[in-house]
Amino acid sequence: MFPTSSQRKHWMFKNEDELQTLRVQANQNYIESYQDRLGPSAQPTLNAEDEKTLLKYYEHTMMRDLCKKFQPPMPKAVIGTAFNYFKRFYLNNSVMDYHPKEILVTCVYLACKVEEFNVSITQFVSNIKGDQKKAADIIINNELLLMQQLNYHLTVHNPFRPIEGFLVDIKVRSRLANAEKLRSGIDELIEKLYLTDACLLYSPSQIALAAILHSASKNQENLDSYVTQTLLGGDPTRLTDLIEAVRKIRIMSKPSDVFQPNRDLIKALEKKLDACRNEENNPDSQIYKERMNELLEDPDERPSARKFAKARRSMGGDKMTGVSAIDPNLSP
Amino acid sequence: MDNYSVLGRIGEGAHGSVLLGKRKSDDKEVALKKISVKKIEDGIPTAIIREIKTMQVLHSPYVMRLLDHFPKGTGFVLVFDYMPSGLWEMIHDVDSSLTESLIKSYMKMLLKGLDHLHKNGIMHRDLKPANLLIGFDGILKIGDFGQARTMWKDKNGKRPYTQQVATRWYRAPELLYGARLYTEAIDLWAVGCTFAEMFLKRPLFQGETDIDQLALVIKCLGTPTDENWPGHAQLPDFNKISFATSKPESWDVLLPGVPSSAQNLTKELVKYDSSRRIKPHEALNHKYFFSPPKEIPERDLPRPHHDHRTEIKIKELDGANFHMFQDFNLLLDSVL
Repeated sequence: MFPTSSQRKHWMFKNEDELQTLRVQANQNYIESYQDRLGPSAQPTLNAEDEKTLLKYYEHTMMRDLCKKFQPPMPKAVIGTAFNYFKRFYLNNSVMDYHPKEILVTCVYLACKVEEFNVSITQFVSNIKGDQKKAADIIINNELLLMQQLNYHLTVHNPFRPIEGFLVDIKVRSRLANAEKLRSGIDELIEKLYLTDACLLYSPSQIALAAILHSASKNQENLDSYVTQTLLGGDPTRLTDLIEAVRKIRIMSKPSDVFQPNRDLIKALEKKLDACRNEENNPDSQIYKERMNELLEDPDERPSARKFAKARRSMGGDKMTGVSAIDPNLSP
Repeated sequence: MDNYSVLGRIGEGAHGSVLLGKRKSDDKEVALKKISVKKIEDGIPTAIIREIKTMQVLHSPYVMRLLDHFPKGTGFVLVFDYMPSGLWEMIHDVDSSLTESLIKSYMKMLLKGLDHLHKNGIMHRDLKPANLLIGFDGILKIGDFGQARTMWKDKNGKRPYTQQVATRWYRAPELLYGARLYTEAIDLWAVGCTFAEMFLKRPLFQGETDIDQLALVIKCLGTPTDENWPGHAQLPDFNKISFATSKPESWDVLLPGVPSSAQNLTKELVKYDSSRRIKPHEALNHKYFFSPPKEIPERDLPRPHHDHRTEIKIKELDGANFHMFQDFNLLLDSVL
């Protein structure tokens, strides 16, 4: 139940300022530790705005493509949960510490498990173009880090169940003739909202209602009396809040707000990121390879258990090792 | 793990060992359930994810509480309240008297806990006396969520589940016939078996193999018909095995000396047709709970002493070993 969930308690925020504060803090924390570590040889770093741009870009391209083209086709709940994980992770972590390409595939993989969409790692990485063995390593090595960064709050409440509930209710209690025709408009808004912070600011049922009202107005239908009278029983105070939330959610998804990637800008930011990222978490770096070799030679661990232990111990406190970039061109 | 010290061993589970520990901050006794990671290829095992996930959703006085969890070595440790006893111990302890009032109290707590699970969309899939734990305050709590999972909620979602769940004696007949599209009603069958076991002091259907299990159920409930079990002939393994035709046994014979309201409640739970099994919230309103004797108020429940579990094992070692035996072979495997 959403009202008693960890999502409501720990992962819902008052407004966008609150999200911004967290992101700026994560960015600052990385920059400080990076400059401490490297001193004069530190490279120029990304600012919080750069990070946001990159994250939107990866959500918009890689993450959405991976989910949409995934074989076998994944249920909507997996997609919703994966996007939610990704957003939660980067509220407290910098892109420069953990590369979004590595985290996003891990988010999708963990979401598959949590939503009981059971695919093996081999099946999973067959959806990724490039070095699949390497991709599998990245995912397995980052899985625990992700779980920890989510504070083990694995259950995500998505808007899909409230949508079904509203549709049943609309069929029974409203004058709308054909509620089923709303579906495509609903899906359209939900997909746009994946690329926004809506899931960190609004409850699943608010998002569901916004999607339904969006679709109704697109279909030139009117559900006003259903919402004001049937749903809220004419209570004006609740109505104002709900209308405001629905309005804001719909504004978030407006084309001007949805990201238009500027290729040149992205290229420049990626280049900058490669220079200032945390080398300890970059599998192509010398420091990373040395540590992995050290761990592999540990005689205490049986081979079958080695990978897990390796991932475990390389965490050093609560951090764990990320591995290198995955080819951004996803199959099929 | 630095926050806990290990005091001893409580037992071995299907996925690892359970240790008795102490939380250093306040000396609180805890059970440390260590789950080892055997197959690493796919990363963190689904069983761990399921157990953490389900335990986070559930908040009921009749469901075990996950206090803490952390990765350790090549596995994961889940931390629970230490529970000195369980329903299995209460049934098998010759010194404790499982009176009718006490049975009623345990049954009520079990149904309340299960109601909470099912209302939260979780089926346990391995209910049995050994997984029903009893705390120092005498309260019964549902534990061991290693097989529990959330139910499919998709609108068109008839996605299958594995049928390799539940300990044989408590396994619902649809599972024995290889059903994969089962519902949370498999838990209700298990509750019915557990309820009967409290009176009988032995399992209601104590099959030695999966086939034997099915044979026993059919001998007691009679040959399934289209009336008492619509759709049974379409179950995957139905045509792979057939049993001699039998008439249902009377519940007076199956549960001799048991009050009729209790016999009736068992009958409502131990039914072929899963959709007709009485739901937890309905069962709580069953006449059994309004017939004498009254249940024991929670504050007066018998309180197990610290090592109840270990003492029992010494007394009934053979029984304990037999009970630990779990067989997940499919019905098919034993037929073919």
